[in-house]
Amino acid sequence: MGAINSIEQLEAYRQELEDAAVTDLPTVMICFGTGCQANGARPVAEAFTNIIKEQGLELNVNIGIKTTGCHGYCENGPLVALQPQGILYLKVEPDDVPEIVEESIKGGRIVERLIYEDKTTSEMIAEYSEIPFYKHQHRIALRNIGAIDPTNIDDYFLAGGYVGLVKALGMKPDDIITEVENSGLRGRGGGGFPTGRKWRSCVAVDSDVRYVLCNGDEGDPGAFMDRSIMEGDPHTVIEGMIIGAIALGAHTGYIYVRDEYPLAVKNLSSALEAAREKGLLGEDILGSGFDFDIRISRGGGAFVCGESSALMRSVGGDLGEPRAKYIRSVERGLYDKPTVLNNVETWANVPEIIVKGAEWYASLGTEDSKGTKVFSLVGKVNNTGLVEVPMGISIRELVENIGGGILNGKKFKAVQTGGPSGGCIPERMADLPIDFDSLTEAGSMMGSGGIIVMDEDTCMVDVAKYFINFLVEESCGKCTPCRDGLPRMLDLLTDITEGRGEEEHVAMLEELCDLLTWGALCGLGTSAANPVLSTIEYFRDEYDAHIRDKKCPAGVCKALITYSIDPEACTGCGLCIKKCPQECITGERKEAHEIDTTKCIKCGICRDVCTFDAVRIS
Amino acid sequence: MEKISVIIDGRTFEAVKDQCVLEVAHENGIYIPSLCYNSEVASSGGSCRVCLVEAHQGGRMRLVTSCNYPVREGLEIKTDTPLVQRIRRGVLELLMARVPDSEVIREMAAAEGVTGVRFRRDEGENERYKCIACAMCTNVCAEVVGVSAIAMVNRGADKKPATPYYKPSDVCIGCGACAYACPTGAITMTEKDGVRRIWDRDFNMVTCSVCGTPYIPEAQVDWIVRTTGKDRSFFDKCPDHR
Amino acid sequence: MTDVTQFDRIIDRYERTEESLLAILQDFQHEFHYVPEEGIRRLSEIMEVPESKIYAMGTFYKALSLTPRGRHIIKVCTGTACHLKGAPEILEELERELKVKRNGTTTDGEFTLECVNCVGACAMAPLTLIDEEYHGQTRASKIMDIVKKQVES
Repeated sequence: MGAINSIEQLEAYRQELEDAAVTDLPTVMICFGTGCQANGARPVAEAFTNIIKEQGLELNVNIGIKTTGCHGYCENGPLVALQPQGILYLKVEPDDVPEIVEESIKGGRIVERLIYEDKTTSEMIAEYSEIPFYKHQHRIALRNIGAIDPTNIDDYFLAGGYVGLVKALGMKPDDIITEVENSGLRGRGGGGFPTGRKWRSCVAVDSDVRYVLCNGDEGDPGAFMDRSIMEGDPHTVIEGMIIGAIALGAHTGYIYVRDEYPLAVKNLSSALEAAREKGLLGEDILGSGFDFDIRISRGGGAFVCGESSALMRSVGGDLGEPRAKYIRSVERGLYDKPTVLNNVETWANVPEIIVKGAEWYASLGTEDSKGTKVFSLVGKVNNTGLVEVPMGISIRELVENIGGGILNGKKFKAVQTGGPSGGCIPERMADLPIDFDSLTEAGSMMGSGGIIVMDEDTCMVDVAKYFINFLVEESCGKCTPCRDGLPRMLDLLTDITEGRGEEEHVAMLEELCDLLTWGALCGLGTSAANPVLSTIEYFRDEYDAHIRDKKCPAGVCKALITYSIDPEACTGCGLCIKKCPQECITGERKEAHEIDTTKCIKCGICRDVCTFDAVRIS
Repeated sequence: MEKISVIIDGRTFEAVKDQCVLEVAHENGIYIPSLCYNSEVASSGGSCRVCLVEAHQGGRMRLVTSCNYPVREGLEIKTDTPLVQRIRRGVLELLMARVPDSEVIREMAAAEGVTGVRFRRDEGENERYKCIACAMCTNVCAEVVGVSAIAMVNRGADKKPATPYYKPSDVCIGCGACAYACPTGAITMTEKDGVRRIWDRDFNMVTCSVCGTPYIPEAQVDWIVRTTGKDRSFFDKCPDHR
Repeated sequence: MTDVTQFDRIIDRYERTEESLLAILQDFQHEFHYVPEEGIRRLSEIMEVPESKIYAMGTFYKALSLTPRGRHIIKVCTGTACHLKGAPEILEELERELKVKRNGTTTDGEFTLECVNCVGACAMAPLTLIDEEYHGQTRASKIMDIVKKQVES
């Protein structure tokens, strides 16, 4: 099937696909996102392919094996979904495959031991859509992920793909922008700027050249929403950008993908190729006379390149250094031309907004934060993974209802949101809604959607130090406050965590925070204060303990803790003695062991290997 | 050239639209300290942050670097508020901690009331010497001279100007523009017996046929001749005796 | 005399615009396990871009290495979720056992140890990548065994 030269041809092709698709045939869908691949999805897929071939099932029953994008429920991978039943199997191993084929595919039965078990109610749930993790979700940006093969454009067509594009081609560019404005869509990368307004101010600038860019740099550690979308449904991003290009009159687009996401680059590249082949990109799109194509630009390992002006410099083939934003990029951006840069998730929402309308989108979410948001729920929580929920859900609901509560029954202490530009919100404020504005008022920000759950074993001073250290490494070095101020903040935080903290250090930290907020060149610097100020605000007692008592209440800061072995719990098995790199544990077999604290470097290995939980930190 | 009016510290001045605040201030005798900006170098500015001032526009206030903030109608600038002073002092204290050897920074800081540094010394201080990583040198080399022998390498606090691999550059013409432009005099350029040394490379100088003073590197003459077609004999005499 | 065809082959994959610079450097990195000086020089020549600019890019972008790296690259993810779940201990254990500091290469040229600021598999924290193979939920006490096992295979 070659290029499609008109909308009529596209509709005919779509109809052909729909007619050919036999939807009640068994299909095995194996999550092939980075997380599940790390967990061994490939051998599972191979096992399925082999056994189906061996048993000749392809002849009797047409079984499709689809490798899909990230389902989001990463902790429980490898994930295998069976359609049309809608069953989800967790933690599947190659050895489980024969049983699944026999029982579920041929026999129509459920393999009990592989399905979800609710940790609190012990309820066994087989159906994908009933599992709490998925039940509370409303997937728009993630709508296709896990259900389609991202490397097959026909899957995307069957799922309703490029219907938005067809509709947009029949709309006036101005009306497309109005639709996006009315939807209330705000930037999903962290800035939260109203998308329609951004597009509107770009077209207001007189120019014959405009660019549309996609920010796939996703530098916030703990966030992998954009990875999942780029890997699992690249066409939704592409379609969104084509619609944006039509609205803005842009003929060239770029998708900037961070270097650390090779699978995203691969899937996006093949999706672009497929789109071109089908006449959806390139010259005279679907016979409309409109030209537009997209290039991929790869990042080089620099968090600062997520900042819009730095990203544009990097795209042009230069260092990713930001510039003063006194003239906004919608006026002068890439190559000094009017440019619209939007985040992956923002673009992913655009096709649905055009198809289903602004009113539908605006009916979701809250007054000022419309629609849904994809969050990556990670850290000390039971169900880690990606969830998409309407804006306005409370932190508590997210952590407890969807996340299933704190790991190992520990106490919920705080969530960190917004990455290095965000802050920590304590448990006592967990009824706050998650939207663009509520968290900002509390001293953090929603950011790109990374939600890091922390428990009683997390030291909040260590968390502040971690983020400042991260920013020290990622600072581009152009401006004084960030380049020279962050290392001074790190010095102070290091002093505090190593027992050299002094009374005036907190005030000095606050002063440096103030200096960066007012004086730094770009968002990396101006928001660097958040992790420090929010932890000082909500966890001042921990700072005081480190400084005055030289103690780390959470038991994390190595200089302030001591390792010891509880003689009651120790069985004298000798395992820790063998593994200790300092050889500083002594004791006879079957007798309580002892750590020589003068030699102990607190590496944590003894605690790691002890099966009797006998190692204590004080 | 559209003329507009802008208010600085309560007084109204005429300016050209999109002219930078710093220029308007200096034209009218208002002092704003600055280090990394040079009006002849379009790519300079925005780095050191000592020129930050309050910009009031459209009901909002923020601190902006006056060296590259464009004046537009309705703009009010305040150069000396408690906020501006506090941030300026903070920036200077950080610079003092970074380059304790720089007299320029010490003097500028003292003028703002900063005489001491409360922070630990920057670990890389010996390598920093007087360099505030403002990129004036590399901007001049790329934009004004057009040679790009040096570039700003590394990220963060280790950012500094260097030749590739820190080896003597074969495209450097020894003109010394970088050293002249540097606001803190951090680039070492020495001359002895008709040989100039800069960026670890020795340049033989051409001497004036009239006064005998070595005045320009041969490499620079070669480059000018190559790029402009000017006759070599033009350089036999120094500018004073041409 | 360096054979420049090995660089030209890679440069020719891309359009002759500055936009291609970073992608070419990354391809050099992938092919030669670092970005060679002669590669930068050749690229500068062909693209007519100052060598100093390309060198600066080599020092700015952490994905690029200007010095040869080890035969095996170990990357410990130090993203937030991984940090909370034991990445610092894993890093220390590797530094200790391999006798190398982070960002360094062992004296025998076998291993380079690096930190990565989030690979986006946060649900599997803590992550360690060995020659681009992902190992999730790694522990300090087991990491050396995992390294040995993968290197041997």
